[in-house]
Amino acid sequence: MAKDDRNKVPGIVSGGPKGGSKGKVGKPGKGDRMSVASARKSSGDRTQLIIGAVAILIIIAVIVVGLVMYSKNNAVQGAGNVSTKSVATMSAPGEITVSNGSPALKLDVYEDALCPICADLEHQFGGQMAKAVDDGQLTLTYKMVDFLNSSSHSGTYSARALAALMTVAKVDGAKPGVWMAFHTALYNADNQPKEGGTTDLSNAQLADLAGKLGASADAKKQITDGVEVSAATASATANLASLTAAAAKVGRGAGTPTVTKDGVPVDTNDTAWLTNLLPKSESSTPTSSN
Amino acid sequence: MSSRRTRAWDLVGLVARLVLAAVFIGFGWVKATESPAEMRVAVQAYHLVPPALVDVVAAILPYLEIATGFLLLLGLATRIGAALTTVMMVGFLFGLGWVVAKGYSIDCGCSGGGGAVAAGDTHYTEEILRDVGLLILSAYLLFRPRSALSVDGLTRRADADQEGDEYDDDLGHPAAVHNSEDV
Repeated sequence: MAKDDRNKVPGIVSGGPKGGSKGKVGKPGKGDRMSVASARKSSGDRTQLIIGAVAILIIIAVIVVGLVMYSKNNAVQGAGNVSTKSVATMSAPGEITVSNGSPALKLDVYEDALCPICADLEHQFGGQMAKAVDDGQLTLTYKMVDFLNSSSHSGTYSARALAALMTVAKVDGAKPGVWMAFHTALYNADNQPKEGGTTDLSNAQLADLAGKLGASADAKKQITDGVEVSAATASATANLASLTAAAAKVGRGAGTPTVTKDGVPVDTNDTAWLTNLLPKSESSTPTSSN
Repeated sequence: MSSRRTRAWDLVGLVARLVLAAVFIGFGWVKATESPAEMRVAVQAYHLVPPALVDVVAAILPYLEIATGFLLLLGLATRIGAALTTVMMVGFLFGLGWVVAKGYSIDCGCSGGGGAVAAGDTHYTEEILRDVGLLILSAYLLFRPRSALSVDGLTRRADADQEGDEYDDDLGHPAAVHNSEDV
C-alpha cells in the first residue's frame, strides 16, 4: 500500500490540477510539497515495516530453533525398558547398588525422592539405564538424599521414601528387578508427591506400593513401621556430604539429580551421556532380554 | 534536531538497550543451556502456568529472551524489542508477586535453576527490585525507542539522506529518478 501511494506521488499529483506545474518546468507547487512530505513519511513507514518484519522473523526463527532443541533434549532414551534381571544390595548404609553381574562401568546416582528433576531423569533415561543394567554393562549405586524433606507435606517424605528403598533392598534385593521397579514407581507422576504439595505418601502407602511391585510381606511391614527411617536419615546426611564433595569438583553446589563417575559429575544435559559412557561394541549388540 | 539534549537521551536509550540486552541474552543463555527439566521445574514452581502450557513456556522463554536481547543489542526494531521485554518483565513481576502472595518458597529461576528452596533461601526483595529496574528501562525504550548506535538509527539516517537529496535539496529535479530507483 505504501508503495502504491508513493508511486503515484510524482506522476499523478504533480500533474494533477493542484500541482503548481502548469508548464513543462517541473517546479513543484504546494500540492507537491505536501505529497513529498507524505512520500517521505510512507518511505519511513516502509522502512519501519521492513525492520519490524525482520525483527519478527528473527524472533520466530529463534523460537523454532528453541522448540526443536527442546524436544531433542527431551527425547526419551530406551523407552519402555524395565529391569527384570537386576539385583539390589545395600553396599553401605543408604547406598543401594543394582547390577546384573559385575560390569566395569560404575555410576553413582544422587537423587531425592521428592525432586521433580530426578523424576524427569528417570522418565527420560530410566529405560536406557534399566536396559544397560540388565545387559550387564552398568552398575548403578543409588545414593539417595533427603534435603527436600521440608518441601514435602509431611516434612519427612524424602527420608521415609529412602527408608522404604533401603528396606526393599535389604529384604527383597535379591528378587530380580523388584528394587528398580519400586524405585522407578516412586518417580511415577501418579506416586511422586509435589514439592509444597498438600499431601504425600504415608509409610503405609509406600509399603503398599512396594508390595504391588513384588516386595514381600516382611518388607511391607518394616516399611509401614518405619524401621529404617532413622538409618535413612543418617545415610542421607552422609550421601549429601559425598554429593557436595562431588559437585564441588565441577564448581557446583549440591543438587539432584547428579550422576557421577569416579566421583566426578557427568553432564546429563547431553542426551547421549549414557550412550557415550557405555562400551561401544557391546551396546550395539542386540540382546535377547526385554 | 540533534541538539545536545536529544543526544543525551539517545545515550540513555543506548545504555538501557545494552543493560537489557546483557540481562536477557545472559539469563536466556543460561536457561537455554541448562537441562529442559530444570527449566520445566522452574516454571512449575510458580504454580501459575497451567500444566499443559508448562512445556511450551519452558521451551520458548529462554530463546525468546535471547532473541529479544539481540534485537536490543543491535537496536533493530527497538520498539518491538522493548515491547517484548516490557511484557516479559510485567509477567515476571506478576509471577513473583503471585509467589509472594501465595507464600511459596522458590528460586525465581531468573538466571537458570529455579524450583522450590528452603523458606529462608528466597530473595524476593532483590529479585523484585531488579525486575522493576528492568521494567523501567523497557518502558523507557518503549516510549522513546530512539537511541545512539542503533540499526534503527542507521536506517532512519539512510532514509533521511536519500529523500533529502532527491526531494528537499533538489526539488527542481524530477522525482521520477527516485521512483525508478526504488520500484
